[in-house]
Amino acid sequence: MIAARSTLVLALLAGEAGAAAVNAMVTDMTGAAVPEAVIYALPASGKLPSAAPRPAVMDQVNKEFVPFVIPVQLGAPVTFPNKDNIRHHVYSFSPAKTFDLKLYSGKPANPVVFDKPGPVALGCNIHDWMVGFVYVVESPWFAKTAKTGAAKLDLSDGEYDLKVWHPWQRAELPAQRVKVSGAETQASFKLDLNPPPKVVPH
Amino acid sequence: MALPRLRSLQARIALFFVILLITVQAVLVLLVSVSGERIAKDRIAQDLLVGERVFRRLIEQSNRQLGDAARILAADFGFRTAIATRDYGTIVSVLANHGARIDANVVMLADLDRKLLADTLHREQRAAEFPFPDLIALAERDRQASSIVLIDGKPYQVVVVPVLAPVPIAWVAMGFVIDDRVALDLQAVAALHVTFLSERKDSRWTLHASTLPSPLRAALIETGTGGSKPGLGFMNLAGEEYETLAPVLGSGPEGRVVALLQRSLREGLEPFERLRTILLVMTLVSIGMTIAGSVLIARSVSRPVNRLATIARSIRDGDYSLKAEVEGQDEISELAASFNHMLDGISTREQEILRLAYEDTLTTLPNRAMFLDRLKQAVLTARRTSDPVSVMMIDLDRFKVINDSLGHAAGDQVLREVADRLRELLRDSDTVARLGGDEFAVLLPTGTADGVAIVAQRILRTLEVPIMLEGQPVDIGASIGVASFPEHDDEGDSLLRHADVAMYVAKRANSGYAIYDPRYEEGRQTQLSLLSELRRAVENDELSLFYQPKIDLKTGAIRRVEALVRWMHPTRGFVPPIEFIPFAEQTGYIKRVTRWVVEKAVQQAGEWHRERLDIAISVNISTRDLMSNELVDLVAALLQKHAVPAEQLCLEITESGFMEDPARALETLGRLHALGLRLSVDDFGTGYSSLAYLKKLPVQELKIDRSFVMHMVEDEDDATIVRSTIELGHNMGLEVVAEGVEDRAGLEFLKRLGCDQVQGYYISKPLPTQQFVEWLAARRTAEPRPEAASA
Repeated sequence: MIAARSTLVLALLAGEAGAAAVNAMVTDMTGAAVPEAVIYALPASGKLPSAAPRPAVMDQVNKEFVPFVIPVQLGAPVTFPNKDNIRHHVYSFSPAKTFDLKLYSGKPANPVVFDKPGPVALGCNIHDWMVGFVYVVESPWFAKTAKTGAAKLDLSDGEYDLKVWHPWQRAELPAQRVKVSGAETQASFKLDLNPPPKVVPH
Repeated sequence: MALPRLRSLQARIALFFVILLITVQAVLVLLVSVSGERIAKDRIAQDLLVGERVFRRLIEQSNRQLGDAARILAADFGFRTAIATRDYGTIVSVLANHGARIDANVVMLADLDRKLLADTLHREQRAAEFPFPDLIALAERDRQASSIVLIDGKPYQVVVVPVLAPVPIAWVAMGFVIDDRVALDLQAVAALHVTFLSERKDSRWTLHASTLPSPLRAALIETGTGGSKPGLGFMNLAGEEYETLAPVLGSGPEGRVVALLQRSLREGLEPFERLRTILLVMTLVSIGMTIAGSVLIARSVSRPVNRLATIARSIRDGDYSLKAEVEGQDEISELAASFNHMLDGISTREQEILRLAYEDTLTTLPNRAMFLDRLKQAVLTARRTSDPVSVMMIDLDRFKVINDSLGHAAGDQVLREVADRLRELLRDSDTVARLGGDEFAVLLPTGTADGVAIVAQRILRTLEVPIMLEGQPVDIGASIGVASFPEHDDEGDSLLRHADVAMYVAKRANSGYAIYDPRYEEGRQTQLSLLSELRRAVENDELSLFYQPKIDLKTGAIRRVEALVRWMHPTRGFVPPIEFIPFAEQTGYIKRVTRWVVEKAVQQAGEWHRERLDIAISVNISTRDLMSNELVDLVAALLQKHAVPAEQLCLEITESGFMEDPARALETLGRLHALGLRLSVDDFGTGYSSLAYLKKLPVQELKIDRSFVMHMVEDEDDATIVRSTIELGHNMGLEVVAEGVEDRAGLEFLKRLGCDQVQGYYISKPLPTQQFVEWLAARRTAEPRPEAASA
């Protein structure tokens, strides 16, 4: 077994008017870029701003969830529009949110509101290989790594705990504390991934 | 049938083939056994390995089915929903329900932390550790994992799959218990005995399921660690060997499960056992047939061979009556036929050999060997019956003369005629045999010596009858010696010898026949010892020459003497010539004596010649001396040595002496005459020489035998012979000498007849040299007259 270790590097940018960007980089144990990883920051003070969560969309295209992962703020409504011409039956048995959207096509009537933080694994009862994730965070500051493995967070000055999450991670990495004071900050994470066997679509 | 001896041909032939057969068959059986067992084992091993593959394939197949069922269960939305709700009651009932759909014996559910959520076997047991975490680890990677494990001490085939939603949210395990039914299914496919065993952590073995019958199961348990070794092996169950393969099927916390695949070696060997039995039967049958066949063939050889051997033995014993049977055309029959031919040949030749061995071919009379044989038999018989047996030796008197003068054919004719006459004269019970030369013998089985004398006289009479040869009658006489058993001896050989001695006596005495007298043997013995003594006498000068003068009747002068040998033996004294001269002539020693005499005489003649005594010396020469040139050479050498004129020496040869080999004698005489010697015919009138032959002889003198001279005065016939001889001699130009003159009347008578010289006791007896010289001197001085005078 590969030992799980990650490094978080935050590049704290000296922003004028007390704000700066944090550029995070996520790689796996071989050093390859890891996309679809969620980076989010929790203020060290524990005080979260009372910002309204933004809604999100998880499409179903060609019998796949698109995107694979969406991070959302606690309480955010997520819609699951079906772009295929066949029906899907989206469900989740994750503790953070258990729901199922019975066979439907097009856009379901009501969005699903994610009211507990944590990962929510999405499946389709008709297409076993379809898998997608909604990651619910309490903080409004989150981002998802691109194919390059990079993600960018715009934070106001202050101290933060930076956290990372990926569906195939073996274990949760400890938070990395960064201090944001006007300058751009670099951060890097190294994740030990354990992807499940690929299931051929049919 | 008696057990044949190993030495016999048939036993050896049979033994050879039986041993050959047994060897070949033994090698075959050994090959079948060894390679059969090896092949059977290999074959079983192969079957076991194939069986194992089949077995594993079956388990895989069963795993797949089980996995499929488990996956279907895990994918059931309601099931997943129940899990998500953590509604324990619902979960258990779902597990039981879905398990029942595929006849699973156990269904378990574990959360992602590998804690049991539900277990259909242990419904009350919750929150325990899932017993097969390794299977979950495998299933994480492969989406499915399966193994055979022990649950509550029983083996189960268990499959573990994740419950996906769509990521794993739990693990479900489904299991089938492994029992006899599973074992039987496997046996049906793999044709092997299948046993499932488990070994617990405490090394205790448990048998769970098996296709073996109960007793063998018990035996298997008793062997204890039977399945502990992986790979091929052998196991003895209730006395039967099983080849075994023991793959480990799986292990878990309770222990491990092992499958025992087995096949009986006996089953594998069965075809070879059958083959071996067939071979054994074949061997026994062919041994029997070989023995029978060999004995038959060998008998067809050995029986006639034994028969031939029997015949050969009887031939050895002299019985030629058996014949070999000739049957068929084979080699043995050819041998038998050849054998018969050989038998005939041997028989014929033996008869011929016997005939030749025991028969005289010329006269067809029995020969010496047969005669001796019969004589021996007759003596043996006579010893028992005390009858007398007599033997006669017959020797023809004048055979040699006839043979020499008329040829061998005439001689043979004489012998045949004599044989015929003897055969005719004698009884069948008597045996007449020719012993060799002119010697015949007669065996009279019952004759006493006196009775035999009569027979001898009859034989003499019949042989006196002249034999006609080429129309001419030839006189042939015989001398017969007789010896009788038991009067003269008790051995056949000795009898014959005695008869021989008697025959010689008869011949010498001219008496016709003589009956053996032991005194004859004394003379014979004397003669024998005389020979060696005579040799000594010659060497030691025991001999001496005496001289008897001859008087010339015309002049009365003494001009000639006859030298006569005298033997003065150191112990016996005077030995008369008649006792050793004939004997010396027989043995051939006479030549040595003659040589001595001639040497002495010539030496004496030389002395007298030098003393001018004018005396010629006559020497008697034996027949044998005429048969070689030695005498001529000797005389020539001696005359020269002693300077003696040849005419001073005269050689006297007896008339019969010429007749031995007339041509040779004539030649020798011619050479002697050429030397200038005087030659004289001695004993004239006693022989048979013809006048024609006499005419050829180069002699100058005839000497009338004393037998005529001694009685001529009284006997008219003798007087006539003497007168005629003198006239004959003179007419042939020869001088005539008369010997044996013993009185004056004889002297006067001869003088009147005109005889030239006389010799005898009336004139002088033979005198030693010195006495003769004195006698001569006295006579010449006393009576110088030319008249003859008394001594």
